[in-house]
Amino acid sequence: MRIFLDLWWFFKKEKWRYIGGIITLCLSSLLAMIPPYLIGVIVDDIRTRTLTPIQLIKWLVLLAVIGVMYYIVSFIWRQFIFGASLRLSKLMRDRLYAHFTKLSPNFYHNSRIGDLMAHATNDVTAVEDAAGDGVFTLVDSLVMGALVIISMASLISWKLTIIALIPMPIIGIMTRYYGSLLHKRFHKAQEAFSNLNDKVQESISGTRVIKAFGQQEVQKDIFKLESDDVVKKNFAVAKVDALFDPTITFVVVICYFLALTFGSMFVVHGSMTIGGLTSFTLYLGQLVWPMLAFGFLFNIVERGSASYDRIVKLLAIQPDIVDRAGASKNVPSGEVTYHIHQFVYQESESPALKDIRFTIKQGQTLGVVGKTGSGKTTLLKAMIREFDCREGDITIGGRSIYDMTLSALRGAIGYVPQDHFLFSATIGENIAFAKPGASKEEIEHAAKLAHIHADIIRFEEGYDTLVGERGVTLSGGQKQRISIARALIIDPEILILDDSLSAVDAQTEEAILTNLKENRKNKTTFISAHRLSAIEHADLILVLEDGKIVERGTHEELMKDKGWYAEMYQNQQLESLVEEGGKIS
Amino acid sequence: MSTPYTKENLSKKKVVSRLASYMKPHKKALTYAFIMLCIATASDVLGPILMKIFIDNYLTPRNFSWQPLTVLAVSFILVYMISVVLNYFQLISFQGIALKIIQKLRMDVFGKVQQLGLEFFDQTPGGSIVSRITNDTEGIKDLYVSVLSTFIQSTISLIGIFIGMFILDVRLASFCLLLMPLIFLLMQTYRHFSAKVFRVTREKVSQMNAKLSESLQGMNMIQAMRQQKRLRNEFGTISSQYLRSQMKNIRLISFLVRPAVYSFYLIAVMIMLSFFGIQSFDSVVKIGVLYAFVNYLDRFFDPINSVMFQLTRFQQAVVSAERVFGLLDDKRLAPVKEGTSDPKITEGLVEFRDVTFSYDGKKDVLKNISFEAKPGETVALVGHTGSGKSSIINLLMRFYSIEHGGIYIDGEPLKTFSDEELRAKCGLVLQDSFLFASDVMENIRLGKTSISEEQVMEAAKFVQADQFIDKLPGKYHEPIGERGATFSSGQRQLLSFARTMAIDPKILVLDEATASVDTETEEAIQEALRKMRKGRTTIAIAHRLSTIQDADQILVLHQGEIVERGTHQELLKLEGLYHKMYQLQLGDVQSKSGSAVS
Repeated sequence: MRIFLDLWWFFKKEKWRYIGGIITLCLSSLLAMIPPYLIGVIVDDIRTRTLTPIQLIKWLVLLAVIGVMYYIVSFIWRQFIFGASLRLSKLMRDRLYAHFTKLSPNFYHNSRIGDLMAHATNDVTAVEDAAGDGVFTLVDSLVMGALVIISMASLISWKLTIIALIPMPIIGIMTRYYGSLLHKRFHKAQEAFSNLNDKVQESISGTRVIKAFGQQEVQKDIFKLESDDVVKKNFAVAKVDALFDPTITFVVVICYFLALTFGSMFVVHGSMTIGGLTSFTLYLGQLVWPMLAFGFLFNIVERGSASYDRIVKLLAIQPDIVDRAGASKNVPSGEVTYHIHQFVYQESESPALKDIRFTIKQGQTLGVVGKTGSGKTTLLKAMIREFDCREGDITIGGRSIYDMTLSALRGAIGYVPQDHFLFSATIGENIAFAKPGASKEEIEHAAKLAHIHADIIRFEEGYDTLVGERGVTLSGGQKQRISIARALIIDPEILILDDSLSAVDAQTEEAILTNLKENRKNKTTFISAHRLSAIEHADLILVLEDGKIVERGTHEELMKDKGWYAEMYQNQQLESLVEEGGKIS
Repeated sequence: MSTPYTKENLSKKKVVSRLASYMKPHKKALTYAFIMLCIATASDVLGPILMKIFIDNYLTPRNFSWQPLTVLAVSFILVYMISVVLNYFQLISFQGIALKIIQKLRMDVFGKVQQLGLEFFDQTPGGSIVSRITNDTEGIKDLYVSVLSTFIQSTISLIGIFIGMFILDVRLASFCLLLMPLIFLLMQTYRHFSAKVFRVTREKVSQMNAKLSESLQGMNMIQAMRQQKRLRNEFGTISSQYLRSQMKNIRLISFLVRPAVYSFYLIAVMIMLSFFGIQSFDSVVKIGVLYAFVNYLDRFFDPINSVMFQLTRFQQAVVSAERVFGLLDDKRLAPVKEGTSDPKITEGLVEFRDVTFSYDGKKDVLKNISFEAKPGETVALVGHTGSGKSSIINLLMRFYSIEHGGIYIDGEPLKTFSDEELRAKCGLVLQDSFLFASDVMENIRLGKTSISEEQVMEAAKFVQADQFIDKLPGKYHEPIGERGATFSSGQRQLLSFARTMAIDPKILVLDEATASVDTETEEAIQEALRKMRKGRTTIAIAHRLSTIQDADQILVLHQGEIVERGTHQELLKLEGLYHKMYQLQLGDVQSKSGSAVS
């Protein structure tokens, strides 16, 4: 029941809805007490033949009024209580989402998206259930149960009430017991199901092997075993699940039997009427629900509590990349200087960057090359503060990037990451991602700079073409260029291209680079690449190895040095020749 | 990130009759369960009648003879005992049948997927196939359970209650029967509106989840481009829309389900009371009958409530069924044997005659490919990525069917061979060595019981995989986890070699791995490959030209065409594309060893 305390802040926030809901809920339970009593009275009147037409009409009108009132009242409490719980789930969802937008890349690096999704969906639903169904079941089972028992005892016979109620707690006890049994078996059934899922997944991933070795039948056999297991485990669940109804029915029947036997004795004694007995049995019927509800309540509350804890834990995680105290909001500009003594990723021991020192003047281009894992991406990401570098500093126009707000820093930078992630939206919206109000001309201009405009207008719907899962399939090169256009639309002070030209062909690459040169006067550009042609014309080229700068200079200087760069350059010349079919043009 | 855009196959036609046909094999079990249900319901209905007898025959006339009362009491308890026990068994039988039907359906879908060609797998995201086989069939389970258990049960108990009422009083029962059309109307109205609201809610949920998952994936971009606030607002909008549709749902349930059903109950009570009340004005009313009626009405509305609750589930299940049947009806089958002749592969002569092939029917990935691999010869395929090497292998393995040109083995068309013959004589070694989650033995044997443990070990020894297998704690019975993550890529390759050697194929189809492995394993792999190729016709894709210098024939592919062919020496002399590729790789090797020295 701790969940109700945990959610107290919310109950307080929505106190009018909850107070209104609980009052109307109690009212509806109260109203539900009247018809059985009325029926009893009328039965007695019929039996003694004292019923007059006017009386009958009066009773019927009363019943009708109760019906209408019940309808209205129960409509209201549902709106209030369930409405409030839905509000809670929206609140939690939005809060989680806002929290997600604040967390640092490091957090995403260490968590699985599936888990985060589960928190924002399943866990939120479980809490919502606790705040809705949980509150409703608690109030209703208590109020309804109490009301029914009070009505039975005060209006009809307290003696009979005690006698008839003796077996009732069995329902609560049994459902609780079945519940825990069910929980265990259900868990196993789910496990079996997830095994089945894994098996299917495996056989889909291994399709080629399966086909090459003619394994289809074997796969079917294995699948049959797994799915047999699912059937078995699920049947075990069904066996317990099916116990609920019969058990409840039987206990209620025993109650009826007791009520009828002893009630008749009271009728014979004259301490009770047959009408009273009829009302009594009707009340008994109304007791089943509160008993059941109590069993449910435990489950709802337990699940809600566990989920709430998980959500709270998630919300408590602090982002590690934040604005420092006194950070300036002015967008930086000017020459860029790296002074990094070393940088080590949390989970690794060897430094990812070491002794990185260089200066790039405003308007110049920096090229970063090196093998996979040499630290190119890390070097670029340090600039946009995807992580904080504790031993060293980066300055833009003489100001440390740590002395400005994240927003100011990132406002100066157009970033094109290695994995060109596009959102499920139109191409136009994707390009205008960083500048939502961008005009059509701005978008097209950016697209032209990134050499993708011609591709886009070839699509039937042009800039309104949807991309992503439900949209058109783009080639890697197209995605890269859209991603470049997206960075260019804010006309950034500093443009970072992290191996972003890998999937475009040589001519396109050249065209894009020329466009950048012509349109980005006085703006700085950082390019990392595998293909050296992308950085050939850079003002400074750094060759990285194991996080250290091993060669530096312009293309001409590096070619003279005859080091890794020069060798690589010659190799790649040959490679492009092969790609083009070996024909020397 | 994005998956190819494929329209999902839905089979809307005859969903219900197809679902019903799955029940046929369970006719007998269904009949038993149905009989149990009927008896249980009958006993249930009998209860109030026994109460009526007690009230009218004994209580009202104050006739308390000991014996008949005991009989009545015992039969009352007994009747309910029967009902309870039978109810339990009918519940679990229906559940059991539903589970078995789903099992069958799952086997059918899985079997169907096994028959589909690679074309299908190329065009359908793996995740969606998995969810058809597992989640959607699970959704259909709800359908059988709700139909078999809830709908049938509720109908039977309604019928039972009406029979009881008719036994007690025909006229009053007829009055109550008049309520039924109204109740049906209520159900129809609810179904109609809930279908709409339900659809919207589902749409909103999936939109919301898509937004969330996308945001989580692209969070670095959102942050780098400072769009957190906008995305929060966008999410907030969808979240509010979802809230609104949920509220609608709540309103609908409040309007049309619980409170509405209760109102109907009160109306029924009012009809009954007026009926007896009016009767009482000029004659004596049997109180027992009245009492029993009150009891029946009290139960009358439980089945209606449960049916209404199952309605939404039912609709969801039908959607799942449409998807599953859509998959079952898919026409993209894997190529199978054609014709009646049953040729065998004895020599291993492989011929491609003027083969032109396209995956999508638009762009030819292979153009006029002709070559011949004589028994025992090695033909190596080299070329740049996308030159068509893998396509040649895909066709030889009959993963796709060809329209233009022909492939022949031992002079017989490829399509005339049975699958068994082809798979037993053509051994494929794939670039990514896929391992199944079981043990080493099973991964080599792959469920072929005809291969003995000794043969497995022999095969492992042949490719020198025995050295590392023997070092494993469980040896050949060492479990292999998901995708064999605990093995190095070299070890995985050796295991997949052993797998191929275990079937001792006549023709070897190799897709050389590009993944780099440590030198020691590399040597073992090369040694194994040399041994494997001996005496077998081999078609090999080579990424490292050094490994195929002894090939009898090297085909150089460029954009789907064979641009050069010959032996290593001949091709070098040509000084064409092959020559350049060779130089390039030579340079690579030199620069690697060069940097190692410096």
